[in-house]
Amino acid sequence: MAALDLRAELDALLLQLLGDLEELEGKRAVLNARVEEGWLSLAKARYAMGTKSVGPLQYASHMEPQVCLQASEAQEGLQKFKVVRSGVHAPEEVGPREAALRRRKGPTKTPEPQSSEAPRDPLNWFGILVPHSLRQAQASFWDGLQLAADIASLQNRIDWGRSQLRGLQEKLKQLEPGAA
Amino acid sequence: MAGRGKLIAVIGDEDTVTGFLLGGIGELNKNRHPNFLVVEKDTTINEIEDTFRSLGSIPGSVAEANPSQHDPPLWDEIDSWQFLNRDDIGIILINQYIAEMVRHALDAHQHSIPAVLEIPSKEHPYDAAKDSILRRARGMFTAEDLR
Repeated sequence: MAALDLRAELDALLLQLLGDLEELEGKRAVLNARVEEGWLSLAKARYAMGTKSVGPLQYASHMEPQVCLQASEAQEGLQKFKVVRSGVHAPEEVGPREAALRRRKGPTKTPEPQSSEAPRDPLNWFGILVPHSLRQAQASFWDGLQLAADIASLQNRIDWGRSQLRGLQEKLKQLEPGAA
Repeated sequence: MAGRGKLIAVIGDEDTVTGFLLGGIGELNKNRHPNFLVVEKDTTINEIEDTFRSLGSIPGSVAEANPSQHDPPLWDEIDSWQFLNRDDIGIILINQYIAEMVRHALDAHQHSIPAVLEIPSKEHPYDAAKDSILRRARGMFTAEDLR
């Protein structure tokens, strides 16, 4: 009976794995397409701006990431990724912080702004007025990042499923040594 | 920055790195190493491997087990990169043709974080048969398992 339950669990896991692999293949194809679109747009931007105008020479000497990953643990060590924009901050509070009278004279204590400066858009590395193709490239690679997070989550799930599958197969071999 | 989350690193050719940096993943300041590497014609395999290991946070015991694979002068560089401390990377994007150069390092990486994603390059389209993850998945089943 235990062997039957194990076999049912094994079948369910196997089906889930095959589904995940199919989903991974689909997302990979879309990611590859987005990246290729991005390269084409970069090539168009290079054609418009000059060969040496879009490349490592334009990278900023100080970079802050606009995009970050949030990793969450779904179950039993299974990591899931989500892309978030790190430039989003809570609205700054404007107005008096305490219920007190304002003084017209005297030293004014202006509180330092708590929110840090928003990260600079990498498009600005390449100039103020950039061609539309460069913006399209940015959009393509941004889509690619979203897909990369989904694919990374799927890969982790497949690895996790693989280890679960191995564990169940070992248990089954112990229960049914004759069948092996 | 509390709750900032993890970074996405990229090891690739000029266009791939430029593109993903345009997407906003780049980090570079006075105190930290960059989370990207532009691989050019004169970039050595050792540099790629060291960068990957520094991003992938491979445990020091694994790296030290094969000291002969690293040139002795590089060992100080590896320490200075503090690859054990780069636990802020969530995903490493790497062109597949570059991944082929350091396949042994990729195959040795078994942790779920950072996740390694192989992506195509302009001259080398993506080949699922070479992907580390899919190769492991292909080895999941044997004829006996399916009886």
